[in-house]
Formats: sequence, C-alpha cells, structure tokens
Amino acid sequence: MELSDSVQRGLRSAANPSSFDQSGFQALVDASFRSLLSAHADPGVLDQPELKRIDQILLKQSHAAAATFILEAVKQNADKSLISSCFEELSFSAERIEIFYSAYQKHKKELEHLLASIGRRAPQINDVSWRLQYHMKNAQVDKVNEPFYLISLNTENQGSSEDINFTCTMEQLQDLVGKLKDAAKSVEKASQM
Amino acid sequence: MEEVDKILIHALKQVGTEVSEEINSVQQFSSELIVEAVVRCIRVIEPGLGSTLSTSLPPGMSARFRVGMSLAQACQDIGYKGEIGYQTFLYSNEPEIRSLLMCLVEKLPRESAETSDQPTGKSVVLQRAIATAIKSQLAVPWLPQNCRRLLHIETQGPEALHNFHTQPLSLPNCTKGPGKKQLKAEHTGVISVCACMLSEMTDYQRDILPPLTSQPSHHVSLVASILEQHTAELSTAQEWENEWKSQGLLSCLSPQEYCAWKLSRLRKRIEEQLRSAALPSPESVFGGPRSTSDLSELLETFRAPSDHILTKGTHFTHTQKFTFTQESAPVTSIHSRHQSDSDALHQEEELASLQQQLQQLCNDVTQLTADMKHMSVTNTQVLSELKQREQGNSEKEEKMQVKKKTVDLLPDADNNLLKLQAQVEAGANRMVNLASQWEKHRAPLISEHRRLKEICSNRDLESSRKLSEIKSLHDKICVSTEEARKKEEMYKQLVTELENLPQDVSRSAYTQRILEIISNIKKQKEEITKILSDTKELQKEINSLTGKLDRTFAVTDELIFKDAKKDESVRKSYKYLAALHENCNHLIQTIEDTGTILREIRDLEEQIEAENGKKTVANLERILEDYKAIRQENAALAAKVRDG
Repeated sequence: MELSDSVQRGLRSAANPSSFDQSGFQALVDASFRSLLSAHADPGVLDQPELKRIDQILLKQSHAAAATFILEAVKQNADKSLISSCFEELSFSAERIEIFYSAYQKHKKELEHLLASIGRRAPQINDVSWRLQYHMKNAQVDKVNEPFYLISLNTENQGSSEDINFTCTMEQLQDLVGKLKDAAKSVEKASQM
Repeated sequence: MEEVDKILIHALKQVGTEVSEEINSVQQFSSELIVEAVVRCIRVIEPGLGSTLSTSLPPGMSARFRVGMSLAQACQDIGYKGEIGYQTFLYSNEPEIRSLLMCLVEKLPRESAETSDQPTGKSVVLQRAIATAIKSQLAVPWLPQNCRRLLHIETQGPEALHNFHTQPLSLPNCTKGPGKKQLKAEHTGVISVCACMLSEMTDYQRDILPPLTSQPSHHVSLVASILEQHTAELSTAQEWENEWKSQGLLSCLSPQEYCAWKLSRLRKRIEEQLRSAALPSPESVFGGPRSTSDLSELLETFRAPSDHILTKGTHFTHTQKFTFTQESAPVTSIHSRHQSDSDALHQEEELASLQQQLQQLCNDVTQLTADMKHMSVTNTQVLSELKQREQGNSEKEEKMQVKKKTVDLLPDADNNLLKLQAQVEAGANRMVNLASQWEKHRAPLISEHRRLKEICSNRDLESSRKLSEIKSLHDKICVSTEEARKKEEMYKQLVTELENLPQDVSRSAYTQRILEIISNIKKQKEEITKILSDTKELQKEINSLTGKLDRTFAVTDELIFKDAKKDESVRKSYKYLAALHENCNHLIQTIEDTGTILREIRDLEEQIEAENGKKTVANLERILEDYKAIRQENAALAAKVRDG
C-alpha cells in the first residue's frame, strides 16, 4: 500500500507516544472512523476530552492521515498482515496496531458500502409484462399482417421503480432474448475461473 | 500393499470416481466401482477414447460382457501390457486389478505440471477472487424490494448512489513549510512578511480550519475528495521522483536549486510565449500601449511568487478596472438618460455634440499618442546622434592635442629628435626588461594554471563517473524493489494457493512413508544377505565335513582292509564298516530328500493360496450363473423373435 508523505507524517505522529497517549490514540481512531461513517459532517468531531491537550494542528494532521489510511485500506481490501506491515514501517507499537485493527474490522463492512455507493448504476429489471398484437393494415398498405410485441419492463433504480415501454418485432425480440442469454452465460463463465 | 492402495484410491478420487470412505483397499472394489474407475481414468488420459464408454455397468448380462470387452480393448489401446479381457472387470481378482489401476494412474497427466504452467501473478488472484464473488452473488436468489434485508443490499439493493464528485481539501501543513518558504524568502527578500504569514497560517490552522472530514460542503463527496487528494499527492511525488532521476541528477544541482532553476526557466518561457502572442495583436492604438504595459506588469506578477501576488495583483486589477471603467462609465450614463427622458431632442443634440466631442477628443488623443510616440522615437534618435557626435568630438580633440604637441616640438628639431630617440630607446629597454620580468612571472603562473585545469578536468571526470555510478545505483534500486515486490506478490499468491489446496494430501507424510518403506526394505535386504551368508557357511561346513568323512573312511577302509586279510574278526568289522557307511549315505540322502519335499510342499501351499485368492470357485459359479442368464436372455429374445 503506497502512502503519500503527508499521510506517513500524520501517522508517524499518531504513533508517537509522546504526542498521543494510549487513550488519545483510541479516541483518534474512533473519531476517524466516526467522522467517515456519520451521515453528516460534524465539525466538532475532534472536540473530546482525551484530545484536548494535544496540539490542534498535529491532531488535525493525524486525523486526516488516519482517515486517508482507512479509506485506502478498505479500497485495497487490506488484510491484517498488510495493515500491520504498513504500521510497523511507521513504527507503531503492537497494541496500537491491535486497537486500529479491531476498529477496522468492526467498521469494514460499512466502509465498503460507503465506497460502493460512489458511482452510478443502470436500472435493474425486476419484472416484464408483454402483449402480442397483430398489425393488419394501415392507411398506406392494405395487408400488413405482422405480429408485434408490446413489452413493458419494470425497472428499479435507487429505490424508485419506472416502466420502460417499447414495441418490437419477432426477430428483434428473439435478438433481445438471445443477447440476454449471452449475458447470463458470460456471467456464469466469469464465475468459473 | 495398503500404502499403494491408498495412493491409488486418492488418485481415483481426484479423477472423479466416487469411492466411499469405507473402502480402503483394492480388494474391496466391486465390479461397478472398477468399471467406473477405469472409465474415468481413460477419459482423463484420452478423452476421445473415453467418451464412448459409460461409467456404469448395464444390468443385462450380454451388455455387461460387451462393456467388459470394449474396456479391455481401450486399456490395451492405451498401452496396458498385461493380460486383460472381459473377465478382468466382471470376475475381478485383486492383483490384476491393482496392476491395471497402477498402470492407468501412472498414465494420468500430472496435475502438478499443469498448475505450475499456469501464469502466476496478481491478476490471477484477483480474477479468481472476482470469480468467487460472482459465484456467490449468483447463488443469492432475487428478492422483491420490500423483502430485502441488509445482507442483500450489497448485490441487489440499489441504495442511493452518488457521483464521484471531489472538492479541494486543505491539509494542515506545519512541517512542510520551511523548505519552500525559505526559498520564497530568498527570492523575494521579504523574510519578515513570510514569517508573519507563517504565524498567521498556523493560527488559522490551529483555531479555524475545520477537520478534514467536515471540510467538503456535501458530506457525500468526502470519500471521493479524500481519495482524490491522496492519489494526487502520490502521483506528484512519483512524477517528481521520475524527473529527479532522469534529469535532476544530471544537472548536478541540489533539489532546491533544481526547483528554482526550473521555476525560472518556466517563467522565462511563459514570458516569451506571452510576448510573442501579444506582439501581432495591436488592433487599436488604444490597445497597443496598454497591452504592452499590462503585459510587463503581468510578467512582474509572474516573477514574484505567490506571496507578492496579492499586492501586485491588485495593482494590475486596478489598472484594468481603470481602463475599462473609463470607457464604460459615459456609456452607461448615456443609456440611463436616454431611457428616462422623453423630450429628448435637446439632450440628443447635446448627446450628439458630446459624442462628437468625445470622438474628437479620442482622435486627438490617438493623434497625440502617435505624435508622442514619434517624438520619443525621434528624441532617442537625436540623443544617440548627439552621443555619437560627442564621441567624435572628443576623438578629434585628442588628435588635435597630439598634433599641437608635434608642432610645438618642430623648431628645435634635431635636439628634440635625439631626445625622442633616447626616450624611445629607454622605452624599448624598459619594454625588454618588463617582458623578461613578465616571462619570469608568467611561467609559474601558466604551470599553475595548467595544474589547476588538470585538477578541474579530473574532478569533472570523477564527478561524471560518480554521477553514472549513482544513476546505475538508482536503476539497481528500482530493479531490486520491483523484484522484491514481485516476489512478495508471488509469495502471497503461493500462500493463498497453499491455503486453498486440499489438506488431505500431505506430501511430507507420503515422503516419510516412502522413506520408512525404503528403510524396511534395506533391513530386509540385510537380513536376506545375512541368511544367505549363513547358508553359504553351512554349505561350506557340510562340504568340509563330507570331505573329512570321505578321507577318514578311505583311510579306515584301507587300514582295516589290510588287517582283514590276516584276521577273521577284523574282516567282520570291515563288513560292518561298509554297511555303516552305506547306511549313513542313505540317511543323508533321505534328509536331503525330505528337505526338497518340504520345499515343494511350501511352494504348493503358496500356489494353493494364490489360487484361492483368485476366487476361482466363486468366479466359476458366477460365470455359470451369468452363462445361465445369457442363455435365458437368448431364449427370451428367440421367443420374442418367434412371436414377432
């Protein structure tokens, strides 16, 4: 895991027992996780009795570094060995690594959700209803006599549902079904590596 | 045999045969199991051959027979050299099956070779992880929205998504400052301002700057912002590293100096670009002088680093504002008046006159500026001309003075000529003197100069050599870090693979067993050699004893034979002796015969055991039954044919 200079500096100062004692470190880790996971920005996240006597600039630096490190670790799906090797390089003690790792494990799932919620997603098809119609004639042609399908896809995106309506001929429908089958097959193939 | 059977069963399980847990040896294999195992092995060894064979025995007897025949044929095709036929499968006996299975298992392609051939790397691990994730997600059934729980949200629940939107974050940097700030201070020469700024910055950072996580205006963009910031920092560091390695090292400067050098070069280039861009665009006479003056100011602001930009920048904007407002102010006032007034004639006239005036003034101004320009140009021209003239003047004055002196000397020409010659001679003497002195001084100086030059070139050489060394070291470091990283990745991947491997194949146990077996065999061999040597010794003893006996008998025989001619009783004893000898010979013969018979008995017993192992009687019974079944089937078929 690559870390930038500022993050390394911040974490080093967090590892330093003279600037952060054990309870202070615990409070810093908790505050970092909380500030990332809370639904609203809380400017007073660092206003805690354990963190009062620490230099505010140092504290902000360490907090920023810890938050960045947490996000990077979750992004790379870091396991315990990776995290501890990173922290050992930054001269963390074993207890502090343990403190961090237990908090990391506790919040990892939520953080993964947080990261997964960045991006966009095509609507999902939940249901489909169809109707077969027969086109007999129109103003221009006396005998058309073609069947066609009216398809209505019930889709869902971000919790709201929406209908997509379209008509298609038999061949088009067959093509669509074939494409869907292809897609399902390739997903299955991808699962059997 | 147990070990062999275990290995065989394990191999068969890997091929895909379903061997139940209770079966521990080949002896317990049923016909169905044998057929399945053989067919699966053949399928793996030669897919074309095995695809036509079915893994299960059909119920009909004649069909079974056919399956057995085709299997035997397939085994022979693969290269099994032993005796094989339908009876091998239907009426199995243990050793035959074992040898067949061993042959097949040996022919199986080595899976270990396959796995080592697979491309290794991070991507494989990642792809495998993706595959397992997709598999697990495919296994989850779809649920309508209101039935979904937290578990499914990950894969099915389209929870609120947001775009990757980032905002700039500001990090409190209290230690990053000094290097850069000092550089700036040197550059601008305003140290006190910098110090003041620094303290204000720290005050701001300590008291006012909110923590990183509450800086973005929307909390949603926090994660994206942090990640982006970190990546940007990383990439700048990397860029700098690359540049420093490729160019910075060659320039023989310290990092800070290199930075400053690059900055100044960049500024120069921007300046040039702006100059060249600004030159061909003096559209109006107004624009011309303004743009050049603004440009110089703009360049000033470039030259001064960011600290100065505030004051200079405002100056620049002031002038900009000034020039713009000058033009726009009357226009806006005119507009307003035009709109508000209804009896506009008078005012329009006034407006027209004013506009005319303005026009005229503008024209005047343009003309005047043009005039001024022209004047200034002529002024400089005149000034330069003046200078030139003055120079010419002074030269001429000097010349005139020389001439004047010559004219003064003319009346007393001879005397003066002599004096002059004396002076010239003295001057020449002095010149020679000075030249010799100069030579004296010059020689050591030149040698010194040469020496220094040499030293300099030596140093240059050394520094370039060191530079190249440093470069090669850098390259080496890069290569080795890359290698280390690769190896670490490989190690990780191998560890995960090892974890994923089935644990029942314990290689060490196998090797240990093999070693045990080897040691057992060694022991047995030792015992056998011991027994052999014992036997040889015994044989030798027996031989020597028989030799001794023969010689003793011959001697005794001769002695007694000599005496027997004289004495009757001795003759009798001679007869006894001959009888005794014969009897003893008989006895020995009998003992030897017993030994051979015993050996034969043992051989026969072994044979009987072997025959018993073949289950001949049971197999014969089964063959008889099967024969009956075939006859029945045939009869049924014949009846069917008849009926049909």
